[in-house]
Amino acid sequence: MIELPIGLILTSVIGAVLAGFACSIMGTFVVRMNLASIGYCMSHAAFAGAAFGLMIVIDPMFGALLFSFVTAFALGPIAEKAKLESNIVIGFLFSLMIALAFIFLNYVPGQSANAKALRILWGSILSVNNSDVFFLGLLSFVILVFIIVFYKELVSVMFHRKMAEASGVNTKIFFFAVLFLTGIAVSLSLRIVGGLLVFALIINPTSTAYQFFFDFKKILIFSPLIGVISCLVGYYLSLISDFPIGASIVIVSALFFAFAIVLSPKRKRKIFSLKKT
Amino acid sequence: MNKNIIELQKINTIYEGETIPVIKDINLSVKTGEFICIIGPNGAGKTTLLETINGLLTYTGGKGFVFGKEISKNKTYISKNTGFLIQNFEIDPLAPFLCKDVVLMGLTGKKGLFRFNNKKDLEKVWYSMGLVGMIDFANRPIGKISGGEFQKILIARVLTQQPKLLLLDEPLSNLDYSSRHQIETLLNRLHEKYNLTILMVSHDLSFIPEKCGRILVIDKGKILMDGEKEEVLSSNNVKNILKNGGRK
Repeated sequence: MIELPIGLILTSVIGAVLAGFACSIMGTFVVRMNLASIGYCMSHAAFAGAAFGLMIVIDPMFGALLFSFVTAFALGPIAEKAKLESNIVIGFLFSLMIALAFIFLNYVPGQSANAKALRILWGSILSVNNSDVFFLGLLSFVILVFIIVFYKELVSVMFHRKMAEASGVNTKIFFFAVLFLTGIAVSLSLRIVGGLLVFALIINPTSTAYQFFFDFKKILIFSPLIGVISCLVGYYLSLISDFPIGASIVIVSALFFAFAIVLSPKRKRKIFSLKKT
Repeated sequence: MNKNIIELQKINTIYEGETIPVIKDINLSVKTGEFICIIGPNGAGKTTLLETINGLLTYTGGKGFVFGKEISKNKTYISKNTGFLIQNFEIDPLAPFLCKDVVLMGLTGKKGLFRFNNKKDLEKVWYSMGLVGMIDFANRPIGKISGGEFQKILIARVLTQQPKLLLLDEPLSNLDYSSRHQIETLLNRLHEKYNLTILMVSHDLSFIPEKCGRILVIDKGKILMDGEKEEVLSSNNVKNILKNGGRK
């Protein structure tokens, strides 16, 4: 087992719990909206931002956050304006960000720049500092308040956007807000689990919760719970096994999902239908 | 004398990126408490007409009023007070919503922002589900019920809004005879009991509820016939329009 200072462990554990919470609670909406690829898009926006930071000689993390925020903010309005599925716009932004990253890296001398930018894609929980934890905590709080205050609007939009609109709900603003908050959750979690693995934190806990419940409220409660537990167990696994932390979290959340598929009451047709009638 | 709940004057609606209006120079007056069926072939402009009345689509010419308010300036007010049942859509069998939650969603727009659902809202849900005979389905997942049951849940959803006006887009399509009969009976009952103004789209002459008193026949975006049910149904023209119609 790796020996680490208690302060570092505490900061990184809180960081992991908050990232697990923020990503998996937003995952509830992402899975319902079928926007799983938003994780790729945001992580590559961060990659391009890091490359941009290196090019103009500023902190690559600042560049990564800047690009992620702008991408998260632009996603909804572009999809709306182009009258295209959000997934198509995500694909467009994804490829644009990779192209920009390569152009920026081309102007940065030395091979080490590539490694620095790529670090954004992998992340390291041990590099988490107090300000990361503060911003993740603030974001988790904002997300929680947003969901509690606008629950009835969100659930209505998640069921059927046109029906919600027909009954007088301003669906556009909630659709954009969900995309934006998901983008921010991904951006702020990058340093912890890395851009590629953050995708698993969005999808796996919600997919696990989906196996057990038909009630959106229960999925909203259990998805972040599973996300947080995955992070904590993954963190512990990483400490005792020397696995990379991000990878450990993904393995644990994937195992939860595998168990859920086996144990899901939705698969047990007879027992389920007997209970309901 | 009844006031007009809907007043359309030379309404044109063009979809974004297109040049030809889907509905052209539509003039329509609907009195409170009328039950109107709108019939016409596929692509005639029936859904566009309903969506224009509800404010989901913006008209590009003419003037439209619902509840005495101009549609283009009062979209939210109109949609909050109009029960709009959109055309049959498929729902994912694993969709994580219970029937009672779907019915409760009907109140979302009308309640407005920053107001939580309360006990009274739940009472409205039970009442609406009772009206459509679906109380026993309250805790069933929405994706696990039949087409007819789903349609009844959606009708209960629009009824929770306690709308003054019901816009129903093909509520009887894709249903078997028994479900169709149940929904027809329900609509007749609702119209009689609450004096609801109902505009119902249908593409089939056999789907005209008993209480419907007036029929509009639409084709190629224009109202071709507008009259009492018996008068319109006895006309040979209607059958020809339905047989040979459709936008070209």
